[in-house]
Amino acid sequence: MGALQASTIERAAVRGRLPSGIALGLLTAAWLVAVARAPLDSVQGVLQKILYVHPPLAFAAYLGFGLAALGGALFLWRGDEAYDRLARSAAEVGVLFCTLVVVTGPIWARGTWGRWWSWDPRLTVTLLLWFVYLAYLLLRAFTEGSERSARFAAVYGIAGLAVIPLNYYAIDLAGGRSMHPQNLESGSLGPGMGWPFLLGVGVALLAFAHLLARRIEVESLRARLAERLARAPRGPESSDPEGGPWAT
Amino acid sequence: MSVVAAILWKDLVTEWRSRDRAVAMAVFALLVVIVLHFALPAGRADELRRLAPGLLWITYLFAAILGLNRAFALELENEALSGLALAPADRGFVFLGKAAANFVILGAVQAVAGVFFGLAFGVDLLAVAAPLAAVIALGSLGICSVGTLFSAVSVRTRYREVMLPLLLLPLLVPVLIGAVEASAGLVESGVLRWRPLQLLIVTDAVFLIVSFLGFEFVLDE
Repeated sequence: MGALQASTIERAAVRGRLPSGIALGLLTAAWLVAVARAPLDSVQGVLQKILYVHPPLAFAAYLGFGLAALGGALFLWRGDEAYDRLARSAAEVGVLFCTLVVVTGPIWARGTWGRWWSWDPRLTVTLLLWFVYLAYLLLRAFTEGSERSARFAAVYGIAGLAVIPLNYYAIDLAGGRSMHPQNLESGSLGPGMGWPFLLGVGVALLAFAHLLARRIEVESLRARLAERLARAPRGPESSDPEGGPWAT
Repeated sequence: MSVVAAILWKDLVTEWRSRDRAVAMAVFALLVVIVLHFALPAGRADELRRLAPGLLWITYLFAAILGLNRAFALELENEALSGLALAPADRGFVFLGKAAANFVILGAVQAVAGVFFGLAFGVDLLAVAAPLAAVIALGSLGICSVGTLFSAVSVRTRYREVMLPLLLLPLLVPVLIGAVEASAGLVESGVLRWRPLQLLIVTDAVFLIVSFLGFEFVLDE
């Protein structure tokens, strides 16, 4: 059942390419209009509009890391490589989004807190997660053999997720003062700011899903090509001792 | 359990006969202490006391990573790692044996480096030796658990010595914070604070469970 589910996800990812691309384009346009028309913050001015970018990116990044660990755990449990392709793709897209979070955060912080960085628990945990998943990608790049690199990465990804609650407690203990706003409750945004924010979340999640699906598509094509090359008789085209640029 | 004891015994005997890992780690730790000493501006004694716990743990952490890098290097020769993987027990017990050996070797290095550190920085660590040893043991347990797990991983990657610190340092932040805070309480006022101790115990438990279970998947068939 596991294999069926995983390959179904991959097929859906490939088939949804055009619809998700169109939806992403439309939603992004709506979001841009909404952000442009959203009222200016009375204290922070135009800088506050980064609200419509920064937290949505963070949600997508956390989703990516969660999926990477989940895919890894499922791979270890079921042994189906499709789960590993999901984990690898989610980690890569997650790192991309987290990089944007780590860049947009300090820009906002500089304008509102007066400095680029604070060792606030949420900032620190996000930064450490970014490092964990950068190391995860490096580990994959430096390990030979796709099955082995999948196992190694899965174990590391799970360990990286297990450390998050410990980090929160530890940074609190080390006296990291909390500056970052807590979770937004409904109604905590000013009038006219709710819609652009929700659209921003939608755009970020859809962009994440779209990129993830493209990445999974590449990985599954690569796996199929490797399979085909392994089965094909060694002709002049496949005489490359490394198995060509697609060897994994 | 006999597997744990057998692997611990094997590692300690090999280490005792060559002593190269422990000696290399100890010399490296002493060098780190000297480098730290010259890297810091000559300051007042109470200033150094405040920094001492952090510096001590940087020394221990670096020495531990140096040693962990070699923990499985010997097992690569003659496919000994495959032999370990075939041990007639749950692989978690193989992990426990290797981690226990790393823990003992690191402990010996920490004792030597700690005395030297106290002399170099003029901090009286002997006065709080017993509770400090307990804190160091808890910190080392955390370092050796995930350290042993990912040492088995990194030894089979390219750039192995580079890979291990990249993997370990982001994971070891809670251990480092707990150990530094607990040691700071001891060095400053001789009091063993409960909260950092609690953090260390919980982190050690989580890391031991993750490593025990995860080790199953890091050895090749």
